[in-house]
Amino acid sequence: MTSEKAIIFDASTIISFSMNGLLRELRELKKIFKGKFLITEKVKFEAIDKPMTIDRFRLEAIKIRGMLEDKTFELPTSFGVKHSDILKKTEDYMSSANSVFTGEKGEIHLIELGEASCLALSEILTQKGIPNIIAVDERTTRSLCETPRELKNFLEKKLHTRINVDTEKINLFKNFKFIRSTELIYVAYKRGLLELKNHDTLNALLYAMKYKGCAISRDEIQEIENLK
Amino acid sequence: MQEKENILKILEGTKASIQKGDAATIKNLSNQTTNTAALTQDPDNIAVAVIIYSISKLIERKDYKKLPGWNEFYKTIFKGIDNTINSIKKNDEQKTKENLDNLRNSLTKVSGSLKKYIQDIFRKASINKASKLYEHGLSMEKTANLLGITLFELASYAGQKESVSEIPFGKGISTKARIKIAMEMFG
Repeated sequence: MTSEKAIIFDASTIISFSMNGLLRELRELKKIFKGKFLITEKVKFEAIDKPMTIDRFRLEAIKIRGMLEDKTFELPTSFGVKHSDILKKTEDYMSSANSVFTGEKGEIHLIELGEASCLALSEILTQKGIPNIIAVDERTTRSLCETPRELKNFLEKKLHTRINVDTEKINLFKNFKFIRSTELIYVAYKRGLLELKNHDTLNALLYAMKYKGCAISRDEIQEIENLK
Repeated sequence: MQEKENILKILEGTKASIQKGDAATIKNLSNQTTNTAALTQDPDNIAVAVIIYSISKLIERKDYKKLPGWNEFYKTIFKGIDNTINSIKKNDEQKTKENLDNLRNSLTKVSGSLKKYIQDIFRKASINKASKLYEHGLSMEKTANLLGITLFELASYAGQKESVSEIPFGKGISTKARIKIAMEMFG
């Protein structure tokens, strides 16, 4: 048993930091965090291995790989969690997630391995008694866990089809906790870790995250600013 | 291929619009494939969406037509659409797949300076369609994998679209509560 805790990063959150040139802030956050920043092998593939093969994104991939090398990010093996155990649970989660909603043409496949692997790792850590949260910027995985009914309504409206929900499967997703890059940036702001110290820096950073893919509305950004 | 009748209608509409040089109608036709692509995630439907959107972008830019190789490329595209229409009408699944592959390849196998423009347009069309699927509720990674693009490309493109973040699927927990979770985690 360990007294440590963990933040599990999805590729979408790492990418928001990376594309905004804010990896330094992520490193600073890690320095004050009494725990580990974890990425699964599947997330490593999406955030490092795959972009490493593309000229346009190789530099970003190298920078993120550097964070694995300096142990800002660690693999789950650092907590004694085997890749094979995560893989098995990942497949279970992906299979369940992709059959929660059924339309007229069959199951609606919503998520992929990287996203499912974050859920799998979170469950494994929880079973080990390690407090953890998932940092995910893309909206579908978060909504599947937090607001599945609203997600169903949204899909029905967007896809113009009636959707049936497997309520038993929904229950598998209800115990996860999520934050986004925007909440992490808020912590960095409150703890004085930001390189830029102007009064409007927080606003600028929250919008920068939004425009690089973090699913956050303008109202939510305003609410965060009101907490300053 | 799923929704064959719909795809057939779209390809026939595209063919007629190419002849008229009507890029707006072609773009509109490509958007009609999004629902089916999101629902079925059928690679052929997705391929048609990307190809047709690419064609619309090519048709609307008059300057490409002056580049060497355009006439040959135009004929190849036109013939490719014709072949695909015929194979769908004959219910020949295998041939339809082959024709779609040929059509897609003809967009990337062009010589000279036209090649780099077309490849760029094809890439942007893939990102555009990925963004549409993400808007329709599929996850970011799912969408990127379906379209063969990176999360980096999708994240920055989708981030510019208000329709993604301003129409959330319900808020879940409050903003304040989510901040509290983050702050507590950092002790």
